Amino acid sequence: MLRIVIAEDAAVIRAGLAEVLADRGHEVVAAVGDAEALKAAVAEHKPDVAIIDVRMPPDHTDEGLRAAIAIRRERPATSILVFSQYVETRYAADLLRMRPGPGAGGVGYLLKDRVANVREFTDAIARVAAGGTALDPEVVTGMLNAARHASTLATLTGRERDVLALMAEGRSNTAIAERLVVSERAVEKHISNIFSKLGLPPSDSDHRRVLAVLAYLGS
Amino acid sequence: MRTPASGDGAAKISDNHTMAGLTSSPLRRAVTAPFTRRAWADLAYAVVSFPLAMAAFAFSLVMLENGIFWAVSAPAVRKLGAANRYLARRLLGEDIPAPPPLRPYAWVRVQTPDAGRLAALAEAEGGRVKQHGDKVKIAKLPATRIAELAADEHIVVHALRPQGTIGWYNGAIRDRYAWLARLYFGMKAITASLHLLVAVGFPLAGLFYLTYPLWQEFAGAGPGLGSGHPVELAASFLFVPVGAALLLATPWLSRAVSELDVMFIRGFLGPGNDPAALAERVRDLEKARAHAVDDSAARLRSIERDLHDGAQAQLVALAMKLGLAKEKLELTAPPDLTRVAQLVDDAHRNAIEAISELRTLARGIHPSVLDNGLTDALTTLAARSAVPVELIADIPERPSAAIETIAYFSAAELLANVAKHSGARHATLEAVHVPGLLRIRVTDDGRGGASPAPGGGLRGLAERVRTVDGRLDIDSPPGGPTVVTVELPSHA
Repeated sequence: MLRIVIAEDAAVIRAGLAEVLADRGHEVVAAVGDAEALKAAVAEHKPDVAIIDVRMPPDHTDEGLRAAIAIRRERPATSILVFSQYVETRYAADLLRMRPGPGAGGVGYLLKDRVANVREFTDAIARVAAGGTALDPEVVTGMLNAARHASTLATLTGRERDVLALMAEGRSNTAIAERLVVSERAVEKHISNIFSKLGLPPSDSDHRRVLAVLAYLGS
Repeated sequence: MRTPASGDGAAKISDNHTMAGLTSSPLRRAVTAPFTRRAWADLAYAVVSFPLAMAAFAFSLVMLENGIFWAVSAPAVRKLGAANRYLARRLLGEDIPAPPPLRPYAWVRVQTPDAGRLAALAEAEGGRVKQHGDKVKIAKLPATRIAELAADEHIVVHALRPQGTIGWYNGAIRDRYAWLARLYFGMKAITASLHLLVAVGFPLAGLFYLTYPLWQEFAGAGPGLGSGHPVELAASFLFVPVGAALLLATPWLSRAVSELDVMFIRGFLGPGNDPAALAERVRDLEKARAHAVDDSAARLRSIERDLHDGAQAQLVALAMKLGLAKEKLELTAPPDLTRVAQLVDDAHRNAIEAISELRTLARGIHPSVLDNGLTDALTTLAARSAVPVELIADIPERPSAAIETIAYFSAAELLANVAKHSGARHATLEAVHVPGLLRIRVTDDGRGGASPAPGGGLRGLAERVRTVDGRLDIDSPPGGPTVVTVELPSHA
């Protein structure tokens, strides 16, 4: 059971999220409608996970994201799942590039539509709460497109780019191998190629390697 | 024509144009012409503009005495011209823009040892130059520009004096638009007399001749053999068709005269094709276009916000609930049907809410009630208002779709303001379309004090109206009543 804070300005979605989470046996300790209330709620309840809408009052731009970054800096143990209406790769990169260190909570960035799929949504929460990463496939595609102009990335083969995209979503080697219908060894080979082409030292932590890739993509 | 439309009652509109508007037969048109709004507007214009024309003509004539009078009377003559344009706009629906304002014809007097060189430079820059020894008089160039020219060319300037009052005086004497206005009033003295004769004299004479036999019989009018004489009486009936012809011809002749006058107003009281006026017009249009672009961007933003906060949020919540319900049905055995029923019920409510929000949004984008014309749309609007609204609609011909939409939203905004801010117990919504001009006017008996404050609804409305060259007038003294008038061209 997780203790969760929800920050979302549309009351009807707030209620829906709370219902789904309660159904999964989680405890929603606070459900708020703006960034200031979110920061106060996180300080007060010290939740395991904060679910945050990017656009919130008063300006409806990126209040939620700025609050998420502040929370990540001040309370790194809090896992964060950010929702946004559109693919906003700059936001995702900003958030994911923060590496608060060992014991830090996970980070997720989903499009709002995903919450409609209850299973995907609750899986993402579980992954993030365990310190992992949950990235929306569209966000990943958007980030890859945004970075396509980078000449080093252009040296990747199509297959390597597929692997990179799946890695960025937070998938394990086994999951990637299954998805691409290749052996796990082949995936490992692709990944080491990617790292050497991008000039990144290989690492055994799924999460850190995603962060490294995204930090590169977002830069 | 006036029908009260209260909050719950359906408003009925009868339109005094239906008769004239629906017929195509020239005969019927000829017979009904004297009773159209246009005919009355022509009559009103003939009567009201006559004293104005005579006064303006007399004033201009007296002020021709000498140059000082020319200068001093220029602003007044322009104001008289403006009054005449106002009458044409209000009564004939002819919106003729104002000429550019009076510009001083300023000389700058410069004293410099290098007078010849400075004179040549200033002339090359488009100035008008007169040189006497070491003194140069330069017109049509601002003093600052002359100082720059001198500095750039290292010309030593001993004195540089702009001529302020003299500049205004020179400008007023030469004021092209004051002279055009004087010329106009010279001609107008004739056309106004002619118009009065046609619009007032003809129908009076027509009535007299139409009833001539009666006068002949009972009042003993007319020359000849004396009243009661049978031959005289029979002959007097010959005047009846003359009277009828005069009456029927009146509106057409009156209209011809007023159209001639409008042609003169356009030529003499408008901006003509003066380059400065055109430049001003271009600046106005640029401003209006910027407003239009900003306005549509802001409207798209607000539609996006409404979708995001409204229907989309409802649909996301709906999908979440249906997703949960689906899981309950698939994964739990036996399924908890009470819980599923409750989830479906919630989802259903979200769906209904989403539909209603989409409908509201769609109405905000294009009110489908406008499809049947502005009169129908305004009737619905008036009937929906929280404050009882009396509707007076006279829209014989439909303006263009864009204008109808702006008119509708203007009326909606103004009525909403009445309900929200005025504290009024009663309001009147007037919508009148004369050729070329659609006027929406909302009058209420509330507390007044309405103003186009920055960021307020009225300011936004004024800017929106400006994008199609319309205008918004607010007359709202403290304590009321408030009259807000929106005037739009028939076609955007």
